Amino acid sequence: MKLHKPLVSAVMLCVLGAPFAANAADGDWKRGRVYYRMVCTVCHTTPAGGGKAIAPTSKTKAEWAAYLQADKHNKGKDSVKYYISKEYRAKVKATNKAAEKYADVPDDELMNDIKAFVIKGAKDGDSPAGCS
Amino acid sequence: MKTQRTPWHTATLVVGWLVSFGALAISGMAAAANTSTADHSKFKELQKHFASGPEVTKACLTCHTEAAKQVHRTKHWTWEYLNPVTQQKVGKKTMVNNFCISAGPNLPACASCHVGYGWKDASFDFKSEVNVDCLVCHDTTGIYRKPAGLAGNPVTKRMELPPGSGKFVDPIDLTKIAQKVSKSSRDTCGVCHFYGGGGDAVKHGDLDSSMSAPDREVDVHMDATGLDFTCGTCHATSAHDVPGSRFAPTVKDEGMKRIRGKKDDSNPANCVACHGKRPHPIQQAKLNDHTSKIACETCHIPAFARGGPATKMFWDWSTAGKMNEKGKPFQKKDEDGHVIYDSKKGDFILAKNVIPEYMWFNGTVYYTLVSDKIDPTKVVQISRFEGSPTDGKSLIFPVKVFRGKQPYDAGNNTLVTPHTAGTDDAAYWNTFSWPKAIAAGMAVTGAPFSGKIGFVETEMRWPINHMVAPKENALACQQCHSDNGRLKGIQGIYMPGRDSSRYLDILGGGAAFFALLGVLGHGALRIFSKRKKGGN
Repeated sequence: MKLHKPLVSAVMLCVLGAPFAANAADGDWKRGRVYYRMVCTVCHTTPAGGGKAIAPTSKTKAEWAAYLQADKHNKGKDSVKYYISKEYRAKVKATNKAAEKYADVPDDELMNDIKAFVIKGAKDGDSPAGCS
Repeated sequence: MKTQRTPWHTATLVVGWLVSFGALAISGMAAAANTSTADHSKFKELQKHFASGPEVTKACLTCHTEAAKQVHRTKHWTWEYLNPVTQQKVGKKTMVNNFCISAGPNLPACASCHVGYGWKDASFDFKSEVNVDCLVCHDTTGIYRKPAGLAGNPVTKRMELPPGSGKFVDPIDLTKIAQKVSKSSRDTCGVCHFYGGGGDAVKHGDLDSSMSAPDREVDVHMDATGLDFTCGTCHATSAHDVPGSRFAPTVKDEGMKRIRGKKDDSNPANCVACHGKRPHPIQQAKLNDHTSKIACETCHIPAFARGGPATKMFWDWSTAGKMNEKGKPFQKKDEDGHVIYDSKKGDFILAKNVIPEYMWFNGTVYYTLVSDKIDPTKVVQISRFEGSPTDGKSLIFPVKVFRGKQPYDAGNNTLVTPHTAGTDDAAYWNTFSWPKAIAAGMAVTGAPFSGKIGFVETEMRWPINHMVAPKENALACQQCHSDNGRLKGIQGIYMPGRDSSRYLDILGGGAAFFALLGVLGHGALRIFSKRKKGGN
């Protein structure tokens, strides 16, 4: 039945996305911005990271919600959470000042900050944020 | 009429319901943790729907009773400033520049950066307290916007903007924004000061969006992962009056370091206010000798526009108005995507990592106002920085010199204030008619217009104070002390490595020769006396 696919997708997106949006609203988007720009972007501008910066505007709010909810980084080879985790921050903090500065921020808190930033800066967000 | 419900309709309804549910969940959640002693979401005055900006201000003023009166006394509100030294009345309200030229005849657009609501023409009530816009400086959500064309008002209901463009803007949630207010930030100041002149990085060169969360290389003080200064850390504000205006800058601060608690009316927004006049360690005492002649910024801001966005360096209004093959206005971009021609504005030159120009500057700036006569055969100095090596008040200072070509009244030999922004028949960006635009603009300004139009070359100087580099990136000696160094054009000072004087060279060479002679003679005597003693 044709109805099923879009309806189920929409329901799933909202069921997963609504609590996500609620959490994101609580995050500190400014702290998320610093981590995103100074940790995530560092790799995503290198050939190993795809060679091209991924801006918040590269996805819509729903796409960011789905992406972060799925938690599949690098086509599922690892997780987004790992790159936000204290474990990862400890690993790179000697060479990355943002990882050093936020070394002790709880994982969930920092994840919420990043969610808040990308949702706000998404293509259809309140304040679309490019990489310039 | 019965509407058939498609699967997408159903899906949309479900989505809408769930999103609404999510939004309710959000609104019920606690505000993000900050250092404020007040959670504004708990104030009953802010727990309601606001249909306009003034309604929010009215709510703010129920507690902050004196805030609007304080704002009324500031340049951010009046856009006017009587310079006590030059006795010139300056400020955005009446001044001319060589970017978008003049705010006065274009208020519905330019008032987006006024700390008020509704300044569209001379009828604006400057005494109204509810016209003060609290949110533009105190928003923390980053979603507060005052689009051009609305006279400084935010969008509170969905509207087509600009009218007839087919583009629609959704309203912003003033309640959500009002409940999350806090201290001003780099982002709130940056909403206007990073985007002056019509876009990111355009005007100042040392202020652009890269300063919203800069790294250490861009600004050692504002480094988001380091010292993390906000604008207010230096522009220490009291009673809403922000010190450190470019209209009256402090160049040579003769005071001492500012001490917390000590009553001090000096300008805190300069280097000496924190670092003192001898900021370098004893091992670098020679550098401290430089501070009586050279501003800190000269060595410590080696280049501006270092954060990524390119700044405008040249703007030629005389080429504006060209149309494409379809008779429509167009834009041309360079390989980096920067607009270098716009039918509405003319040709531009942009640049990054720009080395400043240097000049003697004592803090006094004279502006060419619309009431001043100009000589169109020469480059008109719209802002003229005063200074000399002998006045005891000047330092060698870095500046951005913005050059351009702009319309002037060829009959009266004055600069003009065209009406550019808008959808009316006189607006240049609508009908591309200079005669109409200038006549309308000069009528608003209240200045005579002969009807004769020419284009004149102009220059404007902007002090470079921000984007302070880490000390390891400060200028090295040879960058100035060499034949072709940065200060090659600076007169009135003797600079070893750059300058030479026959008599001074003879004197110095002679002193060195005699010193060497003394050392050799002393050594010879020591050897001679040792041998003599040995012989005994």
